[in-house]
Amino acid sequence: MSQALGMMRRYPVWVAVILLYAVAGFFSPAMLKPEQILNILQVTAFLGLVASGQTLALLVGGIDLSVAGVVTMTNILATSMMMGQNERIPLALACCLALGLGVGVINGILIAVLRMAPIIATLAMNAILFGAALVYTGGAPYGTSAPAFNVVGQGSLFGLPASALCWLAITIALAWIMRRTTLGRWIYAVGANETAARFMGVPARSVLVIAYALSAMLAVLGGLLLTAYIGNPSLGIGNQFLLTSVVAVVVGGTALTGGIGSVLATVAGALFVTELNSFTNIAQVSTGAQYVIQGVLIALSVIVYRLIGASADER
Amino acid sequence: MTEHTIDRRKLLTLGAGAAIGSFALTRGALADVISNAKIEGSADMAKGAQKSGKMRIGFSNGFSGNTWRTQNLASMQTEAAANKDKYDLITVDGQGDITKQVNDIEDLIAQNVDALLVIPNSGTAVVPALRKATRAGIVTIPFNLPVEGDNWTAFIGTDPKKKGATTGKFLNDALGGKGKIVALGGLPGNSYTAECWAGAQTQFGSGIEVLAFKDASWQEDKAKVVMADLIAAYPQIDGIWCDGGQDAAGGLKALMAANRPLVPATGDDYNGLLKLYDAQKAANPKFKIGCVSEPSWEGVVALRTAMKLLSGQDVPKRQIISPVLMDDSNYSQFIKKDLPDGVFVDTLLTDDELKKLFS
Repeated sequence: MSQALGMMRRYPVWVAVILLYAVAGFFSPAMLKPEQILNILQVTAFLGLVASGQTLALLVGGIDLSVAGVVTMTNILATSMMMGQNERIPLALACCLALGLGVGVINGILIAVLRMAPIIATLAMNAILFGAALVYTGGAPYGTSAPAFNVVGQGSLFGLPASALCWLAITIALAWIMRRTTLGRWIYAVGANETAARFMGVPARSVLVIAYALSAMLAVLGGLLLTAYIGNPSLGIGNQFLLTSVVAVVVGGTALTGGIGSVLATVAGALFVTELNSFTNIAQVSTGAQYVIQGVLIALSVIVYRLIGASADER
Repeated sequence: MTEHTIDRRKLLTLGAGAAIGSFALTRGALADVISNAKIEGSADMAKGAQKSGKMRIGFSNGFSGNTWRTQNLASMQTEAAANKDKYDLITVDGQGDITKQVNDIEDLIAQNVDALLVIPNSGTAVVPALRKATRAGIVTIPFNLPVEGDNWTAFIGTDPKKKGATTGKFLNDALGGKGKIVALGGLPGNSYTAECWAGAQTQFGSGIEVLAFKDASWQEDKAKVVMADLIAAYPQIDGIWCDGGQDAAGGLKALMAANRPLVPATGDDYNGLLKLYDAQKAANPKFKIGCVSEPSWEGVVALRTAMKLLSGQDVPKRQIISPVLMDDSNYSQFIKKDLPDGVFVDTLLTDDELKKLFS
């Protein structure tokens, strides 16, 4: 029993993922089908990648609301550059990643050097990116992604969805960076207390810029996977991530105040959000109710983490 | 109710007064699209107002940025360019903002335009501004989306309920009145989808079971994700009802991903759906599509109606366009195989103009 409580305390979000899955499976046995489990893994990958980037922005005490615009712009750029031809894939990927790097570095400079509030800087960037997507397409998006590229979003490897494998591989690499490298420790230090980190010799400004650059690059990767999943451009494709990427991170237990949280917990957060959407789709819950449930869960998860934190302090 | 039935070709020869003469000659007979859309005029008429000289027509576009709006605006600009000796077109973009659009309309009134065309963001919010314009002697023509009351000169649009009934009947007949279907709609809570769906349901026989209705935002990616969940939940799905082609394409792609045979689906004139049907129909004997467009040339009808009114002619107060059903029998007249999926094929734009627009 105490072991179970310890698990709850240490990995509350994983417990929540399993509980929700059990509840969903009880009410809708369709959720337990192997192909539905694979389907959930496949579509979680898009949110999972964007949210892992968002985790870094929250860990350094900020937030990245430009991820929605980055995903849209990635989708528009990738499809218009590939034009359905395999030989154009490398150039399209390079351009998308360059775009992510540029956006992230500008976000970082606005926040770290010009001391803009992260929420304002990244929201402005989001508007710029969405406007740029409109200007670039003239409101008429064209092009398609290349067949060889679509395999990443639609295909399978060893019976597992390729998109999920990409997501997990990238996330594990990122988790390793956060746990085992100086950069990872710096990110936590800057998020926990920027002034203290400076005194300890951490190049806080550079760390902030790197964190936002990684956030945007991961949003690009999420956008690329989503593009491979559907194959077509869509000007509204990124909007869903503005809210859900933050939800996944917060549900995963990363604190908005910075310095507390982990990339792996966000994996569970993303799984939780996707599972919930999938379950409510199958259970015939209306879109309005889905939004309400999401909102309630954000509030609940924050309260739960606060309680867990408080009980840990008491011991 | 008198019905003035005009098909697309006639529309060209009946255009705005004499304005059409040059247009019909330069743009030929729209050989690339054969739409037999009927336009039904209401019995009550709007009075024309004789004005002379070069006209100024204002267009308050509620928002821009989706493909339909882009094609509609391009069609209007082409039409205006062909008639630049007769009128100037002044376009303002409401950016999806209800308040901004009201201000836009006030600005156009202040500029003394002769006619004012509007696609409203809100059918109620623009009422006072349109009333003011009408009182100032401006010809006011809301189109595409309805405006409450009748404080405007003339309206042009489709009847979503009727369109829904057309696609609903198609799906019912394609399934022989028996089967399990899912429905995918547009943006959550939008009235267009609600009316289409209401119309569709009037046509379903007692053997049609609606398994689920889900919002899919008229986006392929959302529709595919939602449909994948529905496929897991329902082992048998015999048909998909959609009011938009992107939803249908996304839903069908989910079926393909799950290695399920494709089933009859409905939508609009989204080129991606027609192309998908063209590519997959041979391998899927049960696969059919039934599509009803929202003609992206509504703005052109609005412009011509404005010019008729300004030349002193009376026109029907309401013109309701009934687009033709596109299905396996006639889709090949509409499909544009070498143009992007995003194109809406019920258009006055030539393929070259579309290529330019989508590049």
